[in-house]
Amino acid sequence: MQLRWLIPLGAAAALPAYHAAYAVQYMSVEQAQRAAFAQADGFVDAPLSLTEAQRRALDQGEAALSISAPKIWQARAGQKNLGWLIVDQVIGKAEAISYALALDNDGKIIALDVLEYRETHGAEIRLPAWRKQFVGKTAQDSLRLDSDIRNISGATLSCRHLTDGVRRLVQLYTQVLKPTSG
Amino acid sequence: MQRARPWLGTLVEIRVDGLAEADAVSAIDAAFAEIAAIHRCMSFHDSDSDLARLHRAPVGRIVHVDPHTWHVLQAALTFAQESRGRFDPTIAAQLVAWNFLPRPQNSIEPDLAARWSDIELLSDSRVRLRRALWIDLGGIAKGYAVDCALRILRAAGATAGGVNAGGDLAVFGTAAQTVSVRDPRAPQNILPLLELRDAAVATSAGYFERRRDASGWLGPHVHGNRRRAVGTHSSVSVIAPSCMHADALTKIVLADARIAAKLLPRYAAQVCRYDSRRGWRTLRGE
Repeated sequence: MQLRWLIPLGAAAALPAYHAAYAVQYMSVEQAQRAAFAQADGFVDAPLSLTEAQRRALDQGEAALSISAPKIWQARAGQKNLGWLIVDQVIGKAEAISYALALDNDGKIIALDVLEYRETHGAEIRLPAWRKQFVGKTAQDSLRLDSDIRNISGATLSCRHLTDGVRRLVQLYTQVLKPTSG
Repeated sequence: MQRARPWLGTLVEIRVDGLAEADAVSAIDAAFAEIAAIHRCMSFHDSDSDLARLHRAPVGRIVHVDPHTWHVLQAALTFAQESRGRFDPTIAAQLVAWNFLPRPQNSIEPDLAARWSDIELLSDSRVRLRRALWIDLGGIAKGYAVDCALRILRAAGATAGGVNAGGDLAVFGTAAQTVSVRDPRAPQNILPLLELRDAAVATSAGYFERRRDASGWLGPHVHGNRRRAVGTHSSVSVIAPSCMHADALTKIVLADARIAAKLLPRYAAQVCRYDSRRGWRTLRGE
């Protein structure tokens, strides 16, 4: 173990801090697709169209606030359906997370990976303009990752919103994606 | 390569350097699998966890647990004894009463007089409770999971890497890495705290979760003896070779700095703490 302090300890004075909108991109959608379905030879867009009843059913309960409708792909190997990859976003108190959930044809979770994690100052996150810049970023744009501000220690952030989001997507599978009998 | 997945009630981030892509993927997957296994054993929420089975078992019944759980319980009881009860894994009843933890399903109501010494560890990964009680390993299991995951990354041959479970983190590698801490006054601000090689840092602070009721401030950290919230307005970071030790020691510093100071040399630990009156300070080991 080797340690060097970077902050002047004992000083109650203001310390230099990154006033950073901390953001990390972990994976692209393509990487998440390949990681979850290594045997797939294609991913077919499955645009989501919900009936009013389905939307109401999904909106019930303590579902996390979603920024936009989830994006869904069906993983294919030739004529065979391997399962689904769903990309969704959730917003917490100070962070926005986009994530990819991979489900097999029975709705069982194959993989769950965070694509992008973004922090911001409290109020900003509720602004439509701020949300809009977040939506759609995941796929291509790579965010600047400042290597100096990785390894952040601090009070534990709950991932309740992410858990709620996953629960909602599993519901979505049951209501919309699951093959109807036979 | 860097990946993040939700485990242990928080976001866990794993990073490796110096491996080919396929090797990096399998090292990270193996490390996450270990964390998932530890999560399933020690989750307070999951009804299949070892803790849930202990909470359902009649008082005095012997329960077999996973070796991971037994090992962490043993460490928790050692810290409880060494801290004279400031650290106590049986504070779960208090956290449930304050809504920081969900009420366990179908479990026996805890005896409010129960303490850590009512947990009896037997040979061959067996545990027996002398009183009805609820165990929360939230104060130590994250650190343990970080240590186990880091071991897997090292064994895979990575030249450098790190595991960060919601602020409890450990790094290894040839070069020192900067570790930053959230500014407790403004958590969106990040203070570069130290440079570290081959060591762990755990931080405990109540600022994200604290709230107030008629009796005063409530928070996720509880004084083991007095059963009142500690650390609602401070932040404690402990640096140590083991993340499990660092994790548990943060709670002892929050509850009782004098007792913590006596334990620091034993765990080769150093402390940096913040409170609004005195700013950032170290805590000298005795």
